[in-house]
Amino acid sequence: MRNNIRIYLVGAKTALASRMAYRADFFMSMLIMLLVEMAAPLITIMIYQNGATFPGWTMYEALLIQGVFLLGKGIAAPFFFGIVWNTIERVQNGTFDLLMIKPKSVLFMAIVTGFDAEDLGKLIGGTTLFTLALSRLPMPGLGEWLQFLLLFLLTLAVLFGYGLILAGLGIVWIGNFRVYQIFESITNFGLYPAAIFSKPLQTVITLVIPVAILGSVPATVLLGRPSAGTIGAVGVGLLFLLFSLGFWRWMLKKYTSVGG
Amino acid sequence: MGKRVTVGQKIGQWMRVLKATAFSTYKEWVAYRSQMAVTIFVGPVFFLTQIFIWRAVYAARTTLNGLTLEQMLTYYGIVAVIGYLTFDSADWDLQWLIRNGSFLTYMLRPVSYCFLAFAQKIGHRLLALWVELIPVYLLFIYLFKIDLVPAQPGWAILSLGLSFILVYLTNYCIGITAFWFTKTEGLRRAFLTLRDLSAGMLIPLTFFPKGMQKVLFYLPFQFITYVPTRVFIGHYELAGISLSIPQVVGLQFAATLVMFAVAQLLWYFGIKRFTGVGA
Repeated sequence: MRNNIRIYLVGAKTALASRMAYRADFFMSMLIMLLVEMAAPLITIMIYQNGATFPGWTMYEALLIQGVFLLGKGIAAPFFFGIVWNTIERVQNGTFDLLMIKPKSVLFMAIVTGFDAEDLGKLIGGTTLFTLALSRLPMPGLGEWLQFLLLFLLTLAVLFGYGLILAGLGIVWIGNFRVYQIFESITNFGLYPAAIFSKPLQTVITLVIPVAILGSVPATVLLGRPSAGTIGAVGVGLLFLLFSLGFWRWMLKKYTSVGG
Repeated sequence: MGKRVTVGQKIGQWMRVLKATAFSTYKEWVAYRSQMAVTIFVGPVFFLTQIFIWRAVYAARTTLNGLTLEQMLTYYGIVAVIGYLTFDSADWDLQWLIRNGSFLTYMLRPVSYCFLAFAQKIGHRLLALWVELIPVYLLFIYLFKIDLVPAQPGWAILSLGLSFILVYLTNYCIGITAFWFTKTEGLRRAFLTLRDLSAGMLIPLTFFPKGMQKVLFYLPFQFITYVPTRVFIGHYELAGISLSIPQVVGLQFAATLVMFAVAQLLWYFGIKRFTGVGA
């Protein structure tokens, strides 16, 4: 385990050093990553400032959902979601083979070499929004914090699952970076209170495709009014993680090297 | 004595280059049509989110900032369609060519890079027309029941055409900055974010505070999405200023000319900084 952490840190350090070759561009990219993620909160703020609301939700409650969602993405993006672009790029260029001959698992090496330093901006943005929204709401109790932390761990596990599925797709769907847009479009529902969607759609995003677990489910626990189907969402999240691991392995078997 | 080329012959030559470049780009991208077709899934799914957001917002009201729910959804439908029609990656393409040095080969060609890249955009978007735009347009009309018929078709087509050129010129200007900065990913993202926000792609510009709307009125970005969308709807208003459709399209035309001049100026200074090795 210690050895793995050391390897991961070396990968992160190398990625950071390589990105620092264009320092100004790196810092600007990081800042922009932060701003880009703020699009949905900005729309929410504008809706409320123009006198409209999401029925039953105050502005800061809605922002808390988005804060949780962006915090999850902010942790995933730099630390492990890089497997997506890393896999797609390597398969396209023919350098994916290099990961397969290393004395570590391909998945681990794809994570290590996929550290995305500029996405740390997303982490800063998510943390800021989460803290800001929470500071304007009644402070949750210890029990709520504990439940939230457990659910948030599952949020990260589900995001990891999405990363595995997208990276797996990248193995057979050569060079298609638009898988990111598929992910964004599906998970976009997680940025808003699940209650604003129709009942069938709420069921789909809670109990079929784990989307509500990315924002709405953990945030409502923190607000002291857990969403309907929270337990089911936990089960679906765990199943999704197992499915994504299986999917990754299945796609890996389908990988056909271009030689080199 | 050299043979004199008439203006008509010159235009004919340019049109042949445009047609050949657009056609070869079209053929090149046909190989990646499945990537483009992702839009048929992504576009409607994003739009579905908008439907639920705005239905919730309009649950207790009939209008918001002068727009009804139907008008709001139409706005987002048109914004999506304009996006598919005018999209290009001139900024990324040019900075990539400059960074890896292969831009040198374009300097040896008897056609300007600006024209060549524009012809490539035409070819690329022609493919997108039937792979992305028409399917999504039909889905919006028949699945989501969104009225996507322009109020004044002639003016709408003209405005969309100007938006098509304007998007290209603004992206091209960002690409030119690679002559100074080499890697422009950060600047590119910063610009695109500012552009999308100021162009009304995320939310109608009338949602911004009044003071901000006045600033946005004088920026060129509104002519990229907000103006063609309002021309499509048949009514223009921003910062309390209402303009007739011919007036606002006239302003859009002026903005396109200004952007062309800016691009030429940037190119004039930027090209002097280019140093290519090998080739």
